Formats: sequence, C-alpha cells, structure tokens
Amino acid sequence: MKKKGKFGFLTFVLLMSFSLIIAGCSSNSSSSEGKENDGKTTVTFWHSMTDVTGEAVDEVIKAFEEKHPDIKINAVYTANQGEGQNEKLLTAVSGGNPPDVAYFDRFEIGSWAAQGSLEDLTELAEASGVTKDMYYPFAWEEASYDGKLYGLPTSTDSRLVYFNVDHFEEVGLDPNNPPKTIAELEAAAEKLTIKEGSRFQRIGFIPWFGQGWLYGWGWAFGGEFFNPETNTATANDPKVVEALQWMADYAQKYDVEDIAGFTDSQGTGAMDPFLTGQLSMKVSGPWEVSAIKKFKPDLNYGVFPMPTPTGENHTTWSGGWSVVIPKGAKNKEAAWEFLKFFSGEEGQKIFSGISRDFSVIDSVNEELGYKEDPILKEFVEILPVSHHRPVMTQGSLYWNELASAVENATRGNGTPEELLTKVTDKVNKELNK
Amino acid sequence: MKSNPVNQTSTQNVPISTRRKNIVANLAEYKYGILFALPWILGLIIFYAIPLFSSIYFSFTTYSILQPGEFIGLQNYKDLFHDTLFWKSVYNTVYFAIFFVPLSIIFGVALAMMLNMKVKGMAIYRTIFFLPTLVPHVALAVLWMWLLNPGFGLVNGLLNMIGIEGPAWLGSETWSKPSLILMSLWGIGQAVVIYLAGLGDIPEDYYDAADVDGANWFQKTIHITLPLLTPVIFFNLVMGIIGAFQQFTLPYTLTQGQGTPANSLTFYVMYLYDNGFKFFKMGYASAMAWILFIIIMALTAIVFITSKRWVHYQGK
Repeated sequence: MKKKGKFGFLTFVLLMSFSLIIAGCSSNSSSSEGKENDGKTTVTFWHSMTDVTGEAVDEVIKAFEEKHPDIKINAVYTANQGEGQNEKLLTAVSGGNPPDVAYFDRFEIGSWAAQGSLEDLTELAEASGVTKDMYYPFAWEEASYDGKLYGLPTSTDSRLVYFNVDHFEEVGLDPNNPPKTIAELEAAAEKLTIKEGSRFQRIGFIPWFGQGWLYGWGWAFGGEFFNPETNTATANDPKVVEALQWMADYAQKYDVEDIAGFTDSQGTGAMDPFLTGQLSMKVSGPWEVSAIKKFKPDLNYGVFPMPTPTGENHTTWSGGWSVVIPKGAKNKEAAWEFLKFFSGEEGQKIFSGISRDFSVIDSVNEELGYKEDPILKEFVEILPVSHHRPVMTQGSLYWNELASAVENATRGNGTPEELLTKVTDKVNKELNK
Repeated sequence: MKSNPVNQTSTQNVPISTRRKNIVANLAEYKYGILFALPWILGLIIFYAIPLFSSIYFSFTTYSILQPGEFIGLQNYKDLFHDTLFWKSVYNTVYFAIFFVPLSIIFGVALAMMLNMKVKGMAIYRTIFFLPTLVPHVALAVLWMWLLNPGFGLVNGLLNMIGIEGPAWLGSETWSKPSLILMSLWGIGQAVVIYLAGLGDIPEDYYDAADVDGANWFQKTIHITLPLLTPVIFFNLVMGIIGAFQQFTLPYTLTQGQGTPANSLTFYVMYLYDNGFKFFKMGYASAMAWILFIIIMALTAIVFITSKRWVHYQGK
C-alpha cells in the first residue's frame, strides 16, 4: 500500500515536470488555435513597422476589421524583421509555429521560397482574381519565385539624388540644370566640397552614402547583376566593374579615411548631414521627403536621377515590402483575406496615404497626388523603368558580398575587377549547390 | 591515491547479495535527489546535449534549419579552407585575442593591486571599477560609438586639447580593432574581483617575513604577490581566451552585423552567425563551430600543459 502511494507521487512529479516542459515548448495554446469564444478568427501578424508606418498599418488593420467582423488581427511588433534579419521568423517557421502573416522584405522572397518556408499563393490569387497587371511589374516579379507567387507587394520606392539648391547657387551651379553625366556630377561635387586639413566642412557627394549601393551605380553604368536564364550572378560584368572603379577612384581622390571620419560623425533624423547642410548631394529614397518636412521644412532642395556615363538612359532600382504567409500558418484563409486587403486598392490607399511610401498600384499613386508633387513626381515617374534586385536563392549573400566589395574597393583592398570576380564566384558556387 | 585499508576489508567481507542490496538501497536514497534534479537534467539533455551532438552531424550536411539538407561528408570543412572571409574572421579574432587577453591580465592585476591598498573608502573605488561590467554589451556599444565619434566624440575632443588629431576610430580599418580592445578593457571589473579574492588569499606572514629581510615593494610584488596570484591568473587566462574567441555582441552591435569597415570587425562568431541564420547555411556554420571548439580546446590544453611550470599553488 505504502509503496503504491510512493509510486503515485513519483508519477505525479514526473508528469508535472514533463507537462511543464511540453507546455513551454508548445505555442501559447489558446490564441494560436485561432478561434475565440465569440467565433472570431484571430490572425497573428508580425511586422517591424514603427513611427508613421506603424500608424499607417494600424489604420489598415482597423479598416480591415471593420470590413471583416469575423476576423481579428493580432499585430505583433517584431524588431529586426526584414533587411536580412529574420532570425525570429526563421525559428518560428522551423519550429512549426509561425505567425499567420508576416511583413516581409520583398527581395528575400526568392531565397525563402526556395527553402520551402513560404506558402504558395498562386492558387489563392487565381481564385480571387489578383493578377500581375494590377501592380508595377517589378513588384510582382520580386514577389514570385520559379513562376509561383509567394507574397503580395505592399509598398515600393525608388532612388534619386537629392541636392541642396542653396549650395548649388552659392558655388555658381545651375539648380535648374543638375548633373546628368558622371563627369558633371564629379565636377559639381568638387566645387561643393570644402575641406580643411583632413576634416570636411562640407562634402559635395559621397557615392556610397545613404542609398548609394552598388546595385544603383551598376545599373546606372549599364551593367547587369544576374542572368535569370542561366541562374548565375554576373557581378563581374565590365559595366559593374566600371561603376565600382569609379567609386574606388572617388574614394581615393577625397581620402576614404577622411570621408569615413566624416560619415561616422553623422547622425540620423534631424542630424542627417544632408539636412544639416554638411552634405550637398545624397542618393536617397522618397522617405527623405517626409524626414525633411519633419526636421527641416525650410530646406531648399531638389532631386535628379542618378547620373550615367552618357547622360542618358537614367534608371534606378526599387525595393519594397510585401506580406507573406509563412509555411505552417494555421489560418491560411483568413490570412489571405488580410493579404488581399492590404495589397488591394483600399488598403493601399490607407497605407500609402499615411506612411507616404509609394503604393505598388499606379492608380493609387496617382489618386494620392504623388504625380503632382514636384519632388515625389520624379520618383513615381521613374518607376516604370526601375530595376529590382535579382530574384534568386542567395539574395542576402549577394547583397552582403556586394556591400563588402564596395567597402574593400573604396579602401583599396584589391581592384574592383578582382573583388567582383570573387563575389561572382562565391555566389555562383552557392547558387549551383 | 591513498586507499583506506579498513574499508577495503569490510567491503570484501560482505557477501555479494548484501552488496547488491546496498546498491539498491542507495538508489532508493538517491531517488528523490535525482527526481528533483530531473527538470535540470532534462533541460541539459534537450537544450544542450542533443543540439550539441547533432551539430556534429549537421556539419557534414547542407542543413539550412528549414530543410534537412544532404550528407556531403567533409565538403563544408574543405570549403571553409578556401573561404577568404573565413580566414579574415580568423585573423580578426586572433588579433583581438592576442592583444586583449594579455592586456586584460596586466590591467586587471594592476588594478586589483591598487584596489587592495588599505585606503579609506576603498569599497567605493572597488564599486566604481566594477560598475561598467553591469552595463549590457549593447548599451556599451552605443555609449562607445559616441565616445569614439570622430567629429564630436569625447576621446578625440581630449586628444585635440593636447594637440593630437585623433583617428576615425571605428571608421578606420587600422583603428577599429584597437577601439574594440579599448572598449572590452572597460569591462574587466569581473576579473578584478577575482584577482582581489586571490590577493586576499595571500597570507600576511610572507610580507612580514619579507619586511624583516628588508625587501622593497617591487621585490615583494615580483617574489610574493605575483607567484601566489598565478592560480588566479591561470583561471582568468583560460576564461579570457575562451571569451576573446567568442567575441560577438560588441562588434555585431557596433557595425549592425556588417563587420565594417571592410570586414575589419567581422569576428569568427559573427561570420558563423551570418552563415547559420542569414544565408541558410547551418551545416557550414556548424562546421565553423566545431573548428572553433577545436581551436579553443587546443589553446586551453596548451595553457594547462605549460601551467605546471608557472602556476604556483600555496602550500606546495
């Protein structure tokens, strides 16, 4: 009798410890089931938006919930999601316990889809009549991999060169006729720069500052980064090499360590060097307009397309975000409804209207007046000829490798050709695996 | 080993059946102990032992966290030897370890000796030097980014006052690693506390005897304090090497994971992390982890072997 009692106690303790562990491993039981007592389906939505974009997404959710009273969106802020940092989402997907919807950097869709970690949305899109011609072509292409759709685009941008009109006038440059060719850009930069010893009082232009990624310059020089037919990276394209050579020469001319000393001293927001008047030209996206409005509304500025060697065929590249359903999401149907709404005309109008990020739908951009704004107009008008980063399985690796190549080339660690050949080989090796 | 003759005979005389009974009885005694330790044991097995040993297997595969991958034998290890960034990260890490570990010992011991003087308010001084270790690494990184800011940082401001134009510190390829060493040295309070305990362990008698012999401060330090502190230095050396090779949080926060400028702050574990969590190459990352393990093991073994020559334990 006594023994049995002891045994019972033993099993009790064992069960307790096990159930504790199991409860710890499983998801927060009630909400992930999705159904609540009042018959509402809860859709968990992970996003990384704060500030104005955060307010915008809140409004989208509010409007969606009004339209779909049976679905509740549980928006969870997840720091560092996107731009190559998705550790939390990665573990959630592999643990079989992902959110129903995730806000996702579009250029990573390729590699994630190749890993089988995103739900295929092709059929859902066909069934609800969501088609490619609703969006800018690059946005849809970037959200697809291998002919299948894996996400719905929600926002986009483009890159132009901002310039300080007052600085232009001060040194005798014509603000109505900004640089078109690389040579003109260099000449303007030289005039604008004021250097004392190794310290910059003002610097005309830094090619790699802000959004001056090699992607932008490579395309501006007429290069190509990827061959979709053979699925190979082509970073050693002579035109891309030429672009990097130009950046490296620029770095040498102004002494890269001095430029680094300058850029490292700069802040963001109101302390941005373009806003404080320490930098006369800067490659950036449309979001800069909101920042200027907020921190320095009286700044007299303009924009022009990234110069090219010939002064013709101006182009840019666009990134942007999307919403995806991670593999293993529990409420696929309800999640799809939200995706459709967010990326649809109604959601886009709310989101783009508040966040001032461009919509992926051309008519929405027109309706919101972006095409009439003297500055924003330039950004929207270049969208049709805009590039997007290659859809490939090694998007993050390629991005990092190109960024390192710029760093090394500008600091004189190897010639641009060597560096870019190395990048090409490394990425292709991974692509062929 | 000294054996106890009384015990030996007694166990030998006990019949086998009773001995087995004893074991059973002992087990019954341990039962509750094991039972209460069970949550910890399970946690250790599930969250440490299993991942640890499965990573040996993963290092031979193309495992990507999301997909199990294929078995590829030693390919990951072979690839690593041809990966220039891997070698760069090894160089950065070794550079950091070579400078940081000796410096931390020199400064740590010196600081501990100063904090061991019999001065009024010593508790306050000790606290001051220990406080920085309480600052989280991320906050430390942000703080130092400001201090080392080339334009309006305090460090360059002070250098300017004595007529030196400071470098770009974290923006400069030459100065980025020294900056990091400087930052890390700021957090040696932990080691100092251990050195202080070691200093407290040295009996006064030796110093009294030395005084009688007319030894000066320097002679006492060289012949009494340092030799008797070697067991503690030994401990901190081993821990310092391990810590230096695992350097991650500071450089990762400082460079937003990019290892800028020009990969001069890409440390071994940072590159490992990027491979595992950004490039879907957990197999490759596992291989890196095991190479790191072998390096640390080898260095620790070397330290242990040489320790017989330079570590002096009291009473021996």
